[in-house]
Amino acid sequence: MNRSVDRILTTHVGSLPRPDDLVELYRDDAPDSKLLPRLKSAIADIVRKQHDAGVDVANDGEFGKAMRRAMDFGAWWSYVYDRLGGYELREEQAKKGRAAWTFGSKERKDFAEFYAAEASAAQSSANARQSGTSTARLYGLMCNAPVKYTGHAAIQRDIQNLRAAVGEKRAEDVFMTAVSPATLQILPNEYYKSPEEYTWALAEAIRDEYKAITDAGFILQIDDPALVDIYDWWFSLKGDLAGYRKWAAFQVEAVNHALEGIPEDRVRFHICWGSWHGPHQGDVQLKDVVDLLLKVKAQAYVIEAGNVRHEHEWKVWKDTKLPQGKILIPGVVSHATNVLEHPELVADRLVRFARVVGRENVIAGTDCGLGGRVHRQIAWAKLAALSEGAKLATKELWA
Amino acid sequence: MRSSQKRILTTHVGSLPRPSEMIAANRDRLSSEKNGAEYDKCLAVSVDQIVRKQRDIGIDIPDDGEFGKPMASSYDYGAWWNYAFARMDGFAPADSVPESAHKKSSVAELSLTTFTNRRDWQKFGEFYQDPESTGSLKGSAARRPTRRPVCTGPLKYTGHAAIAADIANLKTAMAAANVEEGFMCSVAPGSFARGEDLHYKTEEEFVFAAADAMREEYKAIVDAGLVLQIDDPSLPDNWDMINPEPPLEEFKKFEQVRIDALNHALRGLPQDRIRYHICWGSWHGPHTTDIPLQNIVDLVLRVTADAYSVEAGNPRHEHEWRVWNEAKLPDGKILIPGVVSHATNIVEHPQLVADRIVRYAKIVGRDNVIAGTDCGLGGRVHPQIAWAKLETLVEGAKLATRELWA
Repeated sequence: MNRSVDRILTTHVGSLPRPDDLVELYRDDAPDSKLLPRLKSAIADIVRKQHDAGVDVANDGEFGKAMRRAMDFGAWWSYVYDRLGGYELREEQAKKGRAAWTFGSKERKDFAEFYAAEASAAQSSANARQSGTSTARLYGLMCNAPVKYTGHAAIQRDIQNLRAAVGEKRAEDVFMTAVSPATLQILPNEYYKSPEEYTWALAEAIRDEYKAITDAGFILQIDDPALVDIYDWWFSLKGDLAGYRKWAAFQVEAVNHALEGIPEDRVRFHICWGSWHGPHQGDVQLKDVVDLLLKVKAQAYVIEAGNVRHEHEWKVWKDTKLPQGKILIPGVVSHATNVLEHPELVADRLVRFARVVGRENVIAGTDCGLGGRVHRQIAWAKLAALSEGAKLATKELWA
Repeated sequence: MRSSQKRILTTHVGSLPRPSEMIAANRDRLSSEKNGAEYDKCLAVSVDQIVRKQRDIGIDIPDDGEFGKPMASSYDYGAWWNYAFARMDGFAPADSVPESAHKKSSVAELSLTTFTNRRDWQKFGEFYQDPESTGSLKGSAARRPTRRPVCTGPLKYTGHAAIAADIANLKTAMAAANVEEGFMCSVAPGSFARGEDLHYKTEEEFVFAAADAMREEYKAIVDAGLVLQIDDPSLPDNWDMINPEPPLEEFKKFEQVRIDALNHALRGLPQDRIRYHICWGSWHGPHTTDIPLQNIVDLVLRVTADAYSVEAGNPRHEHEWRVWNEAKLPDGKILIPGVVSHATNIVEHPQLVADRIVRYAKIVGRDNVIAGTDCGLGGRVHPQIAWAKLETLVEGAKLATRELWA
């Protein structure tokens, strides 16, 4: 994996703004004859665009993961709808929407009026309406048979598109995202006897996708917001930090199980606390989970750190030593505000991390994927601020 | 003015979420269906409650939430200056006056453009025009631009009864809640006199006339023993309203007139009862064309106020704490940096709030820092978010106090 040898490198978390026509093709479930050529050309464009914006470690913008609206937060994991077997679609469960999934969130209780207002605004806004988003397709899924990865063709398609787009670019400058077992186990299960058995089976299934990506020579990024945001969803109402840590420790074992045989230096691991625009007061603190995080067999950790709930957590790395050889990819621009990060702020943030863990161990990143979470003009301006800030930080750190 | 003698004090910029009764009362009053007495009672009760609420969560220097400045819907970014038209003779509703090419002379050959011609708006036109662009941050980025009321005659302050009522409400509420010091906002001439003017011969005359008129409100607030906060986002945000980007020196000339007018309005009023607020406009846009603080900090410091409230808690301006390394805060003056912001729904972690306060305290001295907000929170974020942000402000100030007085 590349590291910041003589300057601060830049990357991002994955999702980039889709062209309108690609969103429409997905939304309309267009036949492959229409979708595939456009998907291929859109990925070629997006790789070029990242290059122009000064992104060093680029990806396919997650374009192979269906986004069905311009603002659509869930494509990063809802893509498994088309790639996992063992699930049945249940109409009644789907009607319940998000409520089909387990809850126990203190934040949802403390900010009930805010979240109710959000939900009703979402209903009246054509673009933000929940029904029809990629995530909404997952609501009806119930695991009722052994889970099985069925996405071999789809991941090969994504790999070929990306390879064609990157051309001469070295494969190690390229990453591709895939979802974590901890995230997948949110989907309800009635086949496996225990949550652990279910998670383990998911790890073994999704491994096929991980392996396909690293076999292709690309850097695999595992997206695992669940590892931290499940505290809020399931444990915060009872303030059950111990119970959460036990759960999280097992999830780390599961993802390591999925990664067996995959070289650590081909893997980066992303956590964030969920990308919705809420108060996030119930987020578990990084210091309470960082020891478990570091057990994940990845060379780089991609961590949300560029918004007001987590910005102060750079200090965690003073007490917790980043192990030798590892890389930190902190989020230094965020989707949580439309206000553009000033390049000097981006630089300040990077320098702060570099002084603690060493400049060669820091790559500049984003908090979360920007596509589908902010307007496309804002997303690109944020990537430009990121690369400008990285240049300022380089100047300061290699002075 | 109270200062952070033994601990970091807390305040905010002014606007707080209006209770639904207040919004309904404002709507009723606009349609003139209800009588004034009912409205007055609703206002007094609401101010009493909002002062108590601020005290209970630990805001040291509260205000009336700007409840006397009417907001007829729960998301409203303009009440802080719109209120002044109702308190002033000399303006006519825009739709009653034809558009005019009337152009006045000015010391600077600059003029302010319309909202849609702002430079940030031009750069991010697609974003600004997308009704969904602000996501769950409601309101203003995609707002429909409207013409402001037009000045058609001599300006004259007529809001004596309104400001007297605001003052009485706040003082009564403070006494009931046993609050030592409270502030009240009033708009700066430069931020107010930005509309079309068909009456005055020059820009300077227009702004000074606004200053003379508003002086009556300023004086009433100070005479009542309240701290006067002058709201003046126009000082920084006029920069974005001049298209193309002007030479900095020309811009400073343009703004100097407005500072002179403000100081003219403040003449003779006790400086230690006045604080001056600037921000770069509260709409949820990218703000890429905001003028850097370092380019205008000398102008800010020329305002005859003892405290300066400056937006500093969002990613466009957070790095600007460094400006105070160079620009020395004069002895005896107080800085009120924004350490929580309306620009995100995420609630600032108290430790981040503390880190920000400590950064300022290390430069200008802990006694000279009061923890504030970027802008008024009412009408700009959901009420639950607004209150959570004030709570985190108080908690962060406590953490900072522990660190600074350790």
